[in-house]
Order: sequence, then C-alpha cells, then structure tokens
Amino acid sequence: MTTPETLVVRRPPYPTVLKPYGRALLRLAERRTDILCLSGDLTRQCEIDLFRDRLPERFVHAGMAEAHMMGLAGALARSGHQPFVHTFGVFATRRPYDQIANAIAYPRLPVRIIGFMPGVSTPGGPSHQAIDDVALMRALPGMTVVDVADAVEADQVAEAIAEVPGPVYVRLKRGEIPVIFPGDHRLRLDRAYVLAEGADVALLTSGMMLAPVLAAAEVLGEYGVAASVVHVPVVKPLDERTVRAVTAECRAVVTVENHSVVGGLGSAVAETLAEAGIGRPLRRVGIRDVFAEGSLDAAYLFDKYGLSTRSVVDAVWALLGRPGPPPAATAAPAAPGEYSPV
Amino acid sequence: MTSMDPRRLATAIRLRAVQMVAPQGFGYLGQALSAAEQVAAVFTVLRFGVDRLVCSPGHYVIAPFAAAGELGLIDDDVLATYGRNGAVVEAIGTERSPVLDYTCGSLGQGLSAAAGFALSDRMRGRDGRVFALVSDGELQEGQVWEAAMFAGHHRLDRLTVLLDANNSQVDGPVDSITTIEPIADKWRAFGWHAVDLDGHDVAAVAEALDQAGRDTTRPSVLVCRTSTVHGLRCLPPDADGHFIKLPPELAEAAVAELTEELESLR
Repeated sequence: MTTPETLVVRRPPYPTVLKPYGRALLRLAERRTDILCLSGDLTRQCEIDLFRDRLPERFVHAGMAEAHMMGLAGALARSGHQPFVHTFGVFATRRPYDQIANAIAYPRLPVRIIGFMPGVSTPGGPSHQAIDDVALMRALPGMTVVDVADAVEADQVAEAIAEVPGPVYVRLKRGEIPVIFPGDHRLRLDRAYVLAEGADVALLTSGMMLAPVLAAAEVLGEYGVAASVVHVPVVKPLDERTVRAVTAECRAVVTVENHSVVGGLGSAVAETLAEAGIGRPLRRVGIRDVFAEGSLDAAYLFDKYGLSTRSVVDAVWALLGRPGPPPAATAAPAAPGEYSPV
Repeated sequence: MTSMDPRRLATAIRLRAVQMVAPQGFGYLGQALSAAEQVAAVFTVLRFGVDRLVCSPGHYVIAPFAAAGELGLIDDDVLATYGRNGAVVEAIGTERSPVLDYTCGSLGQGLSAAAGFALSDRMRGRDGRVFALVSDGELQEGQVWEAAMFAGHHRLDRLTVLLDANNSQVDGPVDSITTIEPIADKWRAFGWHAVDLDGHDVAAVAEALDQAGRDTTRPSVLVCRTSTVHGLRCLPPDADGHFIKLPPELAEAAVAELTEELESLR
C-alpha cells in the first residue's frame, strides 16, 4: 500500500487565516509581470482588492459581465498575458460556459479561473451556490480542476497553477480559511495525498470537506472502523494511480464533496474504479441532485444537505453493514476566529 | 496590406467564394457576398503582424479566406479543401483557421476578443489596430453589448468594428424577428464613433476605415448596409442568403459572371 503522509494534520478546532489566496496572488504577481488580475465585480469578496490597490495597471475590471470577461481573458492569454479571472464559482462556470469552452478551453489557453464560494458554503441561496462547477469544468477538454482544502494550500495554489500550460479552474472558500496542514505541506497538482491508512473504508475527499472527513475518520476509528483518508486537491486530471492503490486495499469506498454527487469527485472516482475493475461498494456523500434552500449560514446547509461529519459516519456505517446505530459525531467547539466542521 | 484595388479584390472574393462553395452545391456564400467590400477594404489596410483581424461570426470565414487566397496568403490547394472532411479551412471558423486572429462559430463572442487584443496592445504600448467583423444578427447576443460597453468605457480607440448589416439570420430577416434599429445610435450611446453607410460602396468603407483610424478618443463602428445577394445577378430572387444553394449550372453561371466582372475591372 502507498505510504501515508509523514506530515501530521492539525486537529480541530483549526486556526484560521484571512485571504490567503489574495495575498499569495499579489506576491506572485510582484515577481511575474505577465500576470493580470480580472474581476467580475466581486473584488473584495474574491480577495483581489489587495491586487487592485497595489498593481492597478495590471488589474482589469470587466464589469458584471462574465461572458465578456471570459472572452477578454482568452484574448489576453492569446496575447501572452496570464490572466487570473475572479468571481463567485457559480457565475464563473454556469453563465459563461460557452465562452470558456470556445475562447479558453478549445485553444487551451493559460487562463486561470478562480471561483469563490464552493457548494453550499454560502447563504446566498441556489443562485449563488456552485454545486455543479466541478462537473461543468471537468467536462471541458484539457481543463484542470482544483479544489484545495485549507489555507496552506490556498496560499500555494496561485503559484502552482501558474505553471500549468492550459486552462485551470480553482474553487476557493471565501473569508477565514482553516489551517489544517502543517506549514511544510507542499501542494502538488499531480497527486492525491494519503493522510491515513485503514483497510475498512477509503474516504476520498476534496476541498473544504477534508475537515469533516478527518473528524469522521477519528470517530469511526474509536468504534473499530479503520479508514483510509485521501485528500484529492486535483479532481482533473485525477491521480488515478493513488485512487486505485488505496481503494483496492479497502473493503468499501466513500467519496465526500461539497458539490452535487453528479459529475464531481464521486463520479470521477466511480469511473476510475469501474474502469479498473475494482469492485467495491461505493457511496457518494454530496448534494443529492437538489438545489439547496433555506439558509442563513453554511453550517445549517451542511447539516441539512448531508455534508456533515455525521453524514460521513452514517454513510460508512451503513455501507459496511455495521450493527446498531452509527456512533454520534459532535463538532469540536470553535471560538471566534477558529473553524470546526459541522 | 495590399496594393490591390479594393473593388477588384471584392469581386475576386465573390468569385473565389463561389468556387469554394460550388463543390458542395451550397454554403455560406451570402456572407461573402454581403461582406466582400468590407473584407476587401480591411485587407487593403491590414498590416499583418501589427494589426489584428477578428471574424466574430465563424460562418463568415469564407470571405477572409477568399481574400487571403487572392492575395497569396493561403495556397490555392489549401483553399480548394474548404469545407471538406479533414480540411484546415472549415466552413465555420475554428482555432486552426489561418489568417484570422480570432473567430468563433458560437456567435456574439468576437467583440470581447477584439477588446482583449486592443487592451493588450495598449498595456504593451503597441500601436496595432484591431479590426472586428461583426454581423447584425449577433447584436441579439447580450455579450456583444457587454463588450461594446467595456470598449466604450475604456476608450479602446484602436478598435474598429465592421458591422455587416445585411438584415439576414437563419430564420429570416433580422428585423422580422427583433428590432435592432437604430443600430448606429445604440453604439453611439455606448460611447462609440458610429457611421452608417452603404456597405457595398468600397470607397466609402475605405474612407470610413481611415476616419476611424484617426479617431484617438473612442472605438469606431461602421454600420455597413448590405445584402446577402449583392454582386451576383444570376442568383434567383428567392435565394436564401444565409445558406445559398448553388447547383452546378448556377455555379457555372456565377463563375462566368464574376470572371467577366473581374476582367472589366482590369
């Protein structure tokens, strides 16, 4: 079996940092003059007010016009610039899909699309929830799709994707971002990370669901279920080698994503298992083909739509056919400025 | 840039377009017939490697391909594969389309690319002009107006749109489907220099292009009034300009008519 990371992830409640991506992009752009920053009218919300104030000559406000913004970005990339395009993930993918396909993906241009507020992490209702962005971007030929887990990775993602020859879509949580990995963690785009090993169930996750998955693995461990935990920051191209290696050694597989169960990580893993002939019972924890309504805060939505630590534990318990009710999972209390999964 | 007489080039575009469409017996000939003078005028001033050429409606690539063929920028044997299986010169523009800096078969996207090129040139202190062929049917797409608003706001003065107002789209006359008039006033309201002119008067198009190049305060649009059956008398009166049928005997008549026309312009 593959060797798990020697790095030890932190335990909740996690400390948080503010705007790690925005600060890192500015740092990168100060070194690399080919980088342009495009905004679709959510400048502060996308952490690029820092860039706008420091490098205004390389900041382009496209207005609230996502279709135009993608076409503009394509032409700028064609002219030798490296545009980083920012808006909420839902507006970055659904509305300008045709423009991304034709003006960016088809010519394989180095445009970096940064979509904030993944899944149900927003109280903005279905219009603001990017629950299908991974599926949409994954379907485009040549598109790299990245869903990082914490502030350590968010701090490194701009530099990591700047080296990708073609287009990249990154989904990023907004605001205060938990620090889960130790400082020496290095984000690479060519691999998944095995964070724990256990032969009963493989838990594969991406993005901000890493925290509840780690919590679920701990609860399950206390009740005699040994879980492997795999963090998959790059959903496409998927590190199929690691996915195959880990799942082949486990009795069951559960994917966990802050996204629809259609077309995202769960689908990508299912396709990999099926094509490799790895016949394991599979459950996909995610948004179950519905639009998520009734929100004041993300915690409520994560609980209501089955994205909590308890949902993961329940899914594993049922999948393995364990007797009796599943163990209770309670969130670690978090003080202001800290983060704990629901 | 070419020293060729733009009137001659416009007729040569029509002739070559007929020859490109003839093997299939149908195709986007009407686009070449309506845009021939605009394309001829642009190729007369276009500085390759400095200026940029965007053909927003991918269905129009036949016209710049024909012009490029006439000027020796595309080999005749390549042009002869137009629209055939395996061809680089596909009937609707692709990323492999030669000569053009941008084209797209999904309509309404070209002006954003043109604005991107103009913005890049400005950032880099380059002096190139950006010419964008846009069709009137594309004005139904919202993205055109997003881009027009952006270009007007940023005063992208090196950007010139040649708007082929041929009143034709797949389902019929544009004005029978949506009212897009007053076209020029719409662009003016977005901060553009706009002129309304006879798009088949090649001298007028050339003059308007020259004027646009001298406006250093705002982007320009030439609203070129045209017809999809212009310059080819042998077409039947009920020809569908969006997708003209050209059976062998009609193609033969068209080649004869345009060859004679070209001779008369020597």
